[in-house]
Amino acid sequence: MVVGRVMRSLIVAPVMLAVAGAASIAAASGAAAQAYPSKPVRLVLPYSPGGIIDYVGRTVAQHLSTTLGQSVVAENRPGAGGITGTDTVARSAPDGYTIVIMDPAIVINPTLQPSMPYDLFKQLEVVSMISSSPEVVVVAPELPVKTMSELVAYAKANPGKLNFASAGIGTTPHLAGELFKQRTGVDATHVPYKSIGQSYPDMMSNKVQFAFSSIAGALPFTTDNRVRAIATTGLKRSEVYPDLQTVDESGLKGFEVDLWLGIFAPAGMPADVMSKLNEAMNKALKEPDLIKAFAKVGVTPRGTSPKDGAVFLKAEFDKWKKVIEDGKIKDN
Amino acid sequence: MEVFSNIALGFGVAATFQNILYCALGALLGTVVGVLPGIGPVTTVAMLLPISFTLEPTSALIMMAGIYYGAQYGGSTTAILINIPGEASSVITSLDGHKMARMGRAGPALGIAALGSFFAGCVATFVVSFGAPPLARMALQFGPAEYFSLMLCGLIAAIVLARGSIIKAIAMVVLGLLFGLAGSDVNSGIRRFTFGFQGLADGIEFVALSMAVYGIAEVAINLERKAGDVGVVGQVGRVFPSWADIRHCIPSVLRGTSLGSVLGVLPGGGALLASFAAYTLEKKVASHPRTFGEGDIRGVAAPESANNAGAQTSFIPMLTLGIPSNPTMALMIGALMVHGITPGPRVMTDRPDLFWGVVASMWIGNLMLVVLNLPMIGLWIRLVRMPYRMMFPAIVGFCCIGTYTINSNVTDVAVMAFFVVFGYLCLKLDCEPAPLILGFVLGPMMEEYLRRALLISRGDPMVFLSSPISVGFLVASALLLLVVAMPMIRARREEALAE
Repeated sequence: MVVGRVMRSLIVAPVMLAVAGAASIAAASGAAAQAYPSKPVRLVLPYSPGGIIDYVGRTVAQHLSTTLGQSVVAENRPGAGGITGTDTVARSAPDGYTIVIMDPAIVINPTLQPSMPYDLFKQLEVVSMISSSPEVVVVAPELPVKTMSELVAYAKANPGKLNFASAGIGTTPHLAGELFKQRTGVDATHVPYKSIGQSYPDMMSNKVQFAFSSIAGALPFTTDNRVRAIATTGLKRSEVYPDLQTVDESGLKGFEVDLWLGIFAPAGMPADVMSKLNEAMNKALKEPDLIKAFAKVGVTPRGTSPKDGAVFLKAEFDKWKKVIEDGKIKDN
Repeated sequence: MEVFSNIALGFGVAATFQNILYCALGALLGTVVGVLPGIGPVTTVAMLLPISFTLEPTSALIMMAGIYYGAQYGGSTTAILINIPGEASSVITSLDGHKMARMGRAGPALGIAALGSFFAGCVATFVVSFGAPPLARMALQFGPAEYFSLMLCGLIAAIVLARGSIIKAIAMVVLGLLFGLAGSDVNSGIRRFTFGFQGLADGIEFVALSMAVYGIAEVAINLERKAGDVGVVGQVGRVFPSWADIRHCIPSVLRGTSLGSVLGVLPGGGALLASFAAYTLEKKVASHPRTFGEGDIRGVAAPESANNAGAQTSFIPMLTLGIPSNPTMALMIGALMVHGITPGPRVMTDRPDLFWGVVASMWIGNLMLVVLNLPMIGLWIRLVRMPYRMMFPAIVGFCCIGTYTINSNVTDVAVMAFFVVFGYLCLKLDCEPAPLILGFVLGPMMEEYLRRALLISRGDPMVFLSSPISVGFLVASALLLLVVAMPMIRARREEALAE
């Protein structure tokens, strides 16, 4: 362990030096009192190319470039379920030139992981929430259920028989399933996959029976009923599945799972930089082209002030912390 | 026949000036990123994604498909010339391909790789046209239990790959499995063997491992030999394979193509197995298997054809089921959805122009790759004649840059440095890296499928005997094991009798 730590610091040290170097350059240019933004802004996407974050992130970068009057460059820094990319931003200079887009994993990771390289609430702050999108509950076509209450009834009549798929431990599809189990007392086995897309062949053949899936992941399979969509997890009905009840409507009052996305910056940014960035972000979220691009993958833009964003972040942190602790997910 | 009118429709779409242009662009870009270490097809497709949104969806998909199979082509070039397989599928090509290059036969090796791939591409295009729906149904028969048995079969076949000692091959496979365990466990999320490094949370990076044990470890070995300041290849020899070479390879290409076409259809890692399986098969059916690993041209022809056939047929589950076989395909599905097209069984009926246009473009793309690559061979082999003192620093430099750019992660470069030492020791001890790589690639997938199958069956191991497909692979594994063990048993008995 000690050797590991020494080795790690050997590797980390040059990075820190580089960051410190960048910070001093930034400070020097700040001294010249140039108005922000005077150089391109780096938007870190902490996941591999492909998937919602990548798509939404690149769309945001494109529109933010216009509203900010500076080019915004999207950059993939994948690794460790988003921790690696978020960490590079947490350790950057708080000058508004390095920001990150993240999903609920940013509030789940601190509870789930035994050690974190950064402190979410001390080293990062919300610039603005940017989007919201519900999950969709999908079931195997052989399963004789058409609504959420039928699923609960079926699961209770067949205890221990059902499996639910997820995109891995601690991902939103997993925790949504756990929340569902905790709220209803249903007994179902969690079967993790590397991505929710990989679970569909097994769901079509009834090896796993249900999942809380992202809409983008479910669409290819629900359009022709190869798996059945039975409900969405927002408090309002989804525009993609307007005929489906929400889980809340079906009787599980207040059950809400949101695959939100937000923009974060290193803590301690100057107030004027923060307000300029937040304003530009919120303006970009009102662009018709952006709204159209988001809608294609079932995502609705939702801008906030930094303050409201922080309140929302804390609420989400507490919500998933409780699910993880009640479900004893960490001890597994 | 309906299929022919469909193919005609496809060529009508694919052979427009605009689509031929995108096809050529895709194939060219793919070749370039295949040759350069580090930038893979995933990154390239991701970078081009925003551009593709403004294109017609068919053109966009044609271009992305070109990048995908073009990269498979380009990957074998570096594997043959400088022993750096950039992708798991070209690891096998470097076994005999690079040996050929060192014997001054880089030209024929590259030539047969191109021609074999072209033939396989053509056949696979027809497989996609005629067999897409039934093959897609076959792919759906594969659940976790079936995939596990398939991978087990592949892993045992890895032992057959070895040239020398079987004990050493088994040891390397097991070591590969162990290296594959590093990183976050899918089932529990717990990190294994990461020693507190954040950069190891996702496991050991494949490119770092393969560049280290192949490319750089070999540089180290070469530095030991006081061969004087000459190129990797002393003499260049002929540029194109001779007619005798080609005739010698025809059966291998045919077998490789059929194996690759079938395995490519399986989205859960079938295409990955294709080149390994084809090589193993060749070695087993050959009358003089000893020449394999010593620069046998069939050892290049078979895996290259299998690899390319698999790359084409892996479009079947993507286009007809909406299931991606790999991250590049996942990106293509994303791109289609942005265009309002939902990949699935309906694409064939709702958008026949798209489906058949892409299928036809694959054939055009393969033709372009041959036209593009054959004239390049002369240039490539001149590159290998570069003196060591220029070549080796360049290889080491490219490997470092390539490994770093994959995740912009310094740990990956450190991991590579570690495995250079490891790979050097292995070469010194006469332990071959190919079984190690196969164990490393298959191990984590095998574990994932094993545990998923048992999770779903609630721990009942009979799940592996409950489906005929799974039983078939298990029986094949047992037979393979017997084939491997036989000579050893016989040798021991003869020894005993002699005493």
